Amino acid sequence: MMQLLKDPILLAVATATSLPFLAMVVILIFTRHNVRLSCSISVGSISISLLSALYLLITLRHATAPIEYQTAWLLSQNVFVSFGYLLDPLSMLMLTIVATIAFLVQVYSLGYMAGDPGITRYYAFQSLFAWAMMTMVIAPGMMQLYIFWELVGLASYLLIGYYYEKTSAQQAGKKAFVMTRLGDIGFFLGLVVLLLGYGNLNILDMNQAGAAHKIPQYLLTISAMLIFCGVIGKSAQFPLMTWLPDAMEGPTPVSALLHSATMVAAGVYMFSRIFPFFAASPTAMAMALAIGTITTLLASTMAMATYDLKQVWAYSTISQLGFMVMGLAAGGYFAGVFHLTTHAGFKALLFLCSGVFIHEYHTNDMRVIGQKGGRKLYIPMICMTVGALALAGIFPFAGFFSKEAILGVLAGQSNKIWLIGGLLGAFLTAYYSFRLIFFVACPKEMAAGHGHEEADDHGHGHGGHDSHEGHHSYIFWCMAIPLIILAGVTLVLGFSQSSLEHFLLPQSAAAHGAANEGGHGGGHLALLITAVSCAIGGILLAWWEFGRKGAKQEGFLRRFVRVEELFARRWYMDDILRFLLDSVVYCGFTNIFTRNDRRVIDGGLDGFCRFTVGSGRVASFLQSGMLQYNLMVMIAVVGLIILVFVSR
Amino acid sequence: MNSLSSYLFVAAALFSLGLLGVLQRRNLIGMLISIELMLNGANINFMAFNRFLAPEPAVGQIVTLFVMGIAAAEAAIGLSIILALFRQLRSINIERAQELKG
Amino acid sequence: MTLGGIFSVETAAQGPFWMVVGLTLAGAVIAVFPRNIVYNVFGLVLALTGVAGLYLFLNSIFVAMMQLLIYVGAICIAIVFAIMLSRPLHLEAPKRNMAKVAAAAGASFLFFAANLAVVFKTGWQAEAQRSGDWTVATIGHMMLTRYNLVFEVISLVLLVAIIGAILTAGYSRRLTS
Repeated sequence: MMQLLKDPILLAVATATSLPFLAMVVILIFTRHNVRLSCSISVGSISISLLSALYLLITLRHATAPIEYQTAWLLSQNVFVSFGYLLDPLSMLMLTIVATIAFLVQVYSLGYMAGDPGITRYYAFQSLFAWAMMTMVIAPGMMQLYIFWELVGLASYLLIGYYYEKTSAQQAGKKAFVMTRLGDIGFFLGLVVLLLGYGNLNILDMNQAGAAHKIPQYLLTISAMLIFCGVIGKSAQFPLMTWLPDAMEGPTPVSALLHSATMVAAGVYMFSRIFPFFAASPTAMAMALAIGTITTLLASTMAMATYDLKQVWAYSTISQLGFMVMGLAAGGYFAGVFHLTTHAGFKALLFLCSGVFIHEYHTNDMRVIGQKGGRKLYIPMICMTVGALALAGIFPFAGFFSKEAILGVLAGQSNKIWLIGGLLGAFLTAYYSFRLIFFVACPKEMAAGHGHEEADDHGHGHGGHDSHEGHHSYIFWCMAIPLIILAGVTLVLGFSQSSLEHFLLPQSAAAHGAANEGGHGGGHLALLITAVSCAIGGILLAWWEFGRKGAKQEGFLRRFVRVEELFARRWYMDDILRFLLDSVVYCGFTNIFTRNDRRVIDGGLDGFCRFTVGSGRVASFLQSGMLQYNLMVMIAVVGLIILVFVSR
Repeated sequence: MNSLSSYLFVAAALFSLGLLGVLQRRNLIGMLISIELMLNGANINFMAFNRFLAPEPAVGQIVTLFVMGIAAAEAAIGLSIILALFRQLRSINIERAQELKG
Repeated sequence: MTLGGIFSVETAAQGPFWMVVGLTLAGAVIAVFPRNIVYNVFGLVLALTGVAGLYLFLNSIFVAMMQLLIYVGAICIAIVFAIMLSRPLHLEAPKRNMAKVAAAAGASFLFFAANLAVVFKTGWQAEAQRSGDWTVATIGHMMLTRYNLVFEVISLVLLVAIIGAILTAGYSRRLTS
């Protein structure tokens, strides 16, 4: 304890991570019924966490070596599992991201969730999430990371199923939890294999050993591939990706925080955390690259066929996560992490903007929102356009820089198919995001006859909400300010690429910079132009089909009905999974186990009982009450015994 | 051959015949008769050992006399029990007395 | 009185010996197998008489006399009385259960075999010092000195037996009358 108080860094870390936990406990136990107090406790704790994270970032930005605090948790002869904090550039960066976005989302929720009866529960779970995510991010060992990974999954389940009276929300929560759990089985198996084979799950050790090839190759490959299953589950890669669109049943701030910026990024974060370990196994990297590419393309196609606002961004998240995984798997550590950072920013922005629209018009359908006059809400509309431009990868927004970085890494691969996949993904991304923008901004016809809305149309200006809900103007500002902040960050973050690179990779930044310079010029410029033209091409196609005056607002997809249906039904993945579940798990395993339970176990016990009763019935013949039979047996036995002894 | 073993053989035969009667006869009095045979077989054993092996001949004879006395007492009791049972069961068939049947 | 000379085992009087043995065993068979209870009693008498003869061969007149007196003279008569009182003669004579007979035969044969095995396997050793005192006076003397306790106890046993017999037979009579 004294050490805690003496060391400011340790104090900062401990505060940042433990304060939300205390907030959750206090809210759940003591202040369930006091809305104001609960909200202030939660927002207060996350703001202190944010300040601590920023303090750490600033203090340690020039630190040459990672700082590690550990206590032994599980000790045995060959195994050492620790608990503690690891502070190196990556973890501090992620900690700051998580704290910032959690803070902004909690502030936004003050406005969005105002008036909701379960708001204290909501804030308790938000604090739970913040605690779990932050402790996971600074874990020094994989076991701690895994434990808090699961806790993050728990928070996700609780928050997705927040509107617990809705069946669809309950189902979505269960689906999310079970699917991620499925991936986590592989993750845990990988950890166990590694633990038994290597003896240590400390991240720094793993990275060093992986880079120095101290671990036998087969062990490395197997455990890397199994650990990647966790990434598949948590970061919604193929084939465990359909839980994320369903997870949009939760409140929009939850979608913004968990299912766009932070929780689903935990998989990618974990990947980058043990990147040197992974990189030592080319097989695992190849598998990750393939899965990432498939995910990107599949999700982009699915986004093209849906009219639900949040679903588009959900598919977009899956697609961008696949893109990050592609970047990391191709060897671009910095590219992947950079895209993670920028994506957190603009995806949260997009979700929060959508939240404003949903909150205002009580519908998720983009056409209805457009028709009801969505574009009149200036702040969300502008911020959403900014976010969409960043997502599409247009200069000068942050997405442009990070996407370029990843495409650059992909171009370095010998097989150009990955690069083509990435460019196609960029094209589709731009297309579907601007499809959404144009649906909202340029609706086909405005809905007539809704007098209430019409009055608002005319009366609205910049402070639209003010006249609508007069004395609740704090709701407006609570929702508007995070949007503005995030939009600003999206504008600026891209330019910090080099300083971020220097921060994250101090040793190799110089070498990387040199390589970059060498690669600049011909190849790099061509790639730049290709990528930007893909993005602009997507936007133009979207504008042609949806945005210009007199457009039919029907995508080219409409002409291929079967294809559109394929995309809309998520490539039938849900159906396939349902079928597999029914035929393999239920008809197969469950059937076998039920039969085993009924026939073998119950049957065995029943049979045993019946045997006992039956043999009792048979044995009761011995109690015939007939003296002579008893005597007979007695005499015979005595005779036998004597004979036995005599014959010895 | 008249040695110990022939007397012992006779005793064993008597005893086994008596045993057969006890195990097989349904008549209670028949069982009592068989029991008397068994006792006599045992007595012959004693007398045989007494004649061929024992240091003091008188002791064996005394034991035999005592066994006879006990046999008499037992026969008296047994008969009165049979009588009582006959009055209860109206029969001296042992297979009628199965009230302890499980 | 030493009759040992006449009845010694070395004489050629093996014939009588085996006749007595045959008598005994025949009597035993008659006592066990027929279903008529009176036949059984007569068989018993025969067998017990034969046993008395065997006691004679075993050099003990006194015990032979006692055998005749007690067994034949008292016990068999008592059994006859019991038969008369219980009148089983014209009551049921159910068919023999062959399985039961076979099982009983098996069990008793087993015991017989065990018995014989012990008899023929053991090396019977006569005591080194054997006194040749076969007189009845010695029996009496021992019974009143060394085995006095047993003598008194057996008197007690006989007393108790008689009382018990009276009570058992009389009590149940009072119940049923």
